Amino acid sequence: MAKKAKKLPRVFDYLRYEDQLAGGVAFCSGCPLELALRLLTKTLGKDIVIVGTPSCSAPVLYGQNIGSWHRLAYCSSVMTGVPSKATGIVRYYRKIGKDITVVCFTGDGCAADVGFQPLSGAAERNENFIYVCYDNEGYMNTGVQRSSTTPLGARTTTTPVGVARKGKETPAKNLPLIMAMHKIPYVATATLSHPEDYVKKLLKAKEIKNEGMAYIHVFSPCPTGWGMATDMTIEVCRMAVRTNFFPLWEAERGRFRFTHTVAQPRPVTEYTKLIRKYRHLTPEELERLQQEVNENYALLRQLTQLGERA
Amino acid sequence: MKDVLKAVEEEGQVKVITGNAAVAYGVMLCRPDVVTSFPVTPQTEVGEQLASFHADGILDAEMVEVEGENSSMNVVLGASIAGGRVFTATSSWGLVFMYDAMLEAAGFRAPVVMANSNREPPGILAVSSGQQDMICTRDAGWIQIAVENCQEILDSVIMAYRLAEDINVLLPVMVNYDGFYLSYLSEAVKIPARKDVDRFLEPLKKQPERTKLIPGRPLGCGTHGLLEEYTELRYKHCAAMERAKQKLDEIDREFGEFFGRSYGGQIEEYRTEDADIVLVASGSAAGTVRVVVDKKREEGVKVGLIKLRMFRPFPRERLIQALKGRKGIGVIDRSVCFGWNCGPMYMELRAILTEIGSPPMMGFIDGLANMDITIKHIERMIDEVYAASQGKPFQEVTWVVLEEEE
Repeated sequence: MAKKAKKLPRVFDYLRYEDQLAGGVAFCSGCPLELALRLLTKTLGKDIVIVGTPSCSAPVLYGQNIGSWHRLAYCSSVMTGVPSKATGIVRYYRKIGKDITVVCFTGDGCAADVGFQPLSGAAERNENFIYVCYDNEGYMNTGVQRSSTTPLGARTTTTPVGVARKGKETPAKNLPLIMAMHKIPYVATATLSHPEDYVKKLLKAKEIKNEGMAYIHVFSPCPTGWGMATDMTIEVCRMAVRTNFFPLWEAERGRFRFTHTVAQPRPVTEYTKLIRKYRHLTPEELERLQQEVNENYALLRQLTQLGERA
Repeated sequence: MKDVLKAVEEEGQVKVITGNAAVAYGVMLCRPDVVTSFPVTPQTEVGEQLASFHADGILDAEMVEVEGENSSMNVVLGASIAGGRVFTATSSWGLVFMYDAMLEAAGFRAPVVMANSNREPPGILAVSSGQQDMICTRDAGWIQIAVENCQEILDSVIMAYRLAEDINVLLPVMVNYDGFYLSYLSEAVKIPARKDVDRFLEPLKKQPERTKLIPGRPLGCGTHGLLEEYTELRYKHCAAMERAKQKLDEIDREFGEFFGRSYGGQIEEYRTEDADIVLVASGSAAGTVRVVVDKKREEGVKVGLIKLRMFRPFPRERLIQALKGRKGIGVIDRSVCFGWNCGPMYMELRAILTEIGSPPMMGFIDGLANMDITIKHIERMIDEVYAASQGKPFQEVTWVVLEEEE
């Protein structure tokens, strides 16, 4: 008897709801945020509250000149207040006995830098909301300044390349890993070259949010700030995964698991050559970056093995 | 726990409690939905007391023990725009650490109620009383009220909810009480019965519902708006501030009818009917001034006290009414106004000088960093204002403890 072929998971199967964004939105050409947001609303539905900050997503969520570009309930916040506002909203609804989904949607500058304290605080209190951080490795909306997730060696406007200095001198802060160390119910990384992986993680986050906080870290290349062709965004996402520069994993209640493994990782140079912010790097400097990628991956692998043993 | 239940369930109960506990009792009686706490001297006891009410089942609220004051303000702000009644307390460094979120709370027109135990704030580390923290935030768009004693703390917290959540006001309210002098002072305080407080707050339920953040309903929360829109929001904010003045007077009168205690609303006048000279003071210092006013009255000096309860919005009309035609005015400030070399209340009262007939007005900076504003100091102030009212030359601003008479 012929074995029935297993149906491959397709992203469209998960998109059960209507798109809540306007037909055209005010993101830069090639920006993955549009896709990230559309997939989010199509997966989670319209009965959500989004909390965000002044950032790349603000022109669309917060509104610029003519108003916002969506039909959602949205709360704007200062950079330091996103997880705390979400806490307040969730707690009030809990008090009146209503189950709601609150999604924080911020960049890496808010999550890893200026808004990190309240993020860590909310994680420790295990508040019931979903935090989606789109990581474009810097303050892109204000004109490409470095953040703590800017990778080693990358050029930004505050880590310029000159005679005395050549790009960022320290490696990126590994925020998803730090969040996992808070032992919240769910932490995951995702990117737009693997949309079904992303939306499955969103659904898991929604399921798990009644037990506590869910954090999803979305790798989001910025064509404008990184110096890459606007039609290369998805390709850059894919290459970040294939080189293990941005591995896809999840940690459920502290148990780590890769959601996608790369059999033969490509050298990181295949990724960096697509992006102008790395163009000044010498072979030695690129080797250091490769080392960094290897170390991060090795640590993750160890953590996933711990999960298997437990 | 039993005694607390008795106090809130039966009428006419009196308890000897600290100013911090008075805050907590007032809050508990108002049944908030979300309460946040973070320790900072001298208000820490407020959060502890509320946590114990919660643990004992007397306070049914979501308690959030945040990791800093900035989050404290953001959590209550989030809960407030979602539709909840909220509370937090802080002091000094905590107050300035939440400054960005405070600006947002005002811009969101969120009816947040916060107690602030006045303490000297940044610059130098002073774990001591002073109103400088409140002054640092006077332009945040909040309503600011300063109170004199523990009973007034409790009563003002209850009134603050009526004011903040009034549909014609919708502004955050900060109830200020002197750190140390009041926060740790134990006094006999009448505890209103919970059912009476419920009745007093009843009008808030009968008014049209305010805008709330509801999942699935398109609404952008924040100080949106560019150009004219922004200007219009500012205009409306200022107009609400203006309405808040009379509203406080009304609420205060109503509170008096309910509970038999009232505080004059924006300002409280003491023996001013026939007074030639008037001292203006706020907070716990007003209590000491009363004593000295009585004493000086016995000596034949026609002196009175005006207690400035509301500092934002500034009770301009009431003050003009109360100060017009006086022959001399003295203002006691427990904080400083950098750049003007005087106290902020003095500076702001100067703005109405011509409208009250330009009498001699003297500013006294006293009571910084827990220095007592003593009876002796106040006697001296009255003497100096009296001399000025008699046409003698006078010094506009006096740093009282630095210029002590031998």
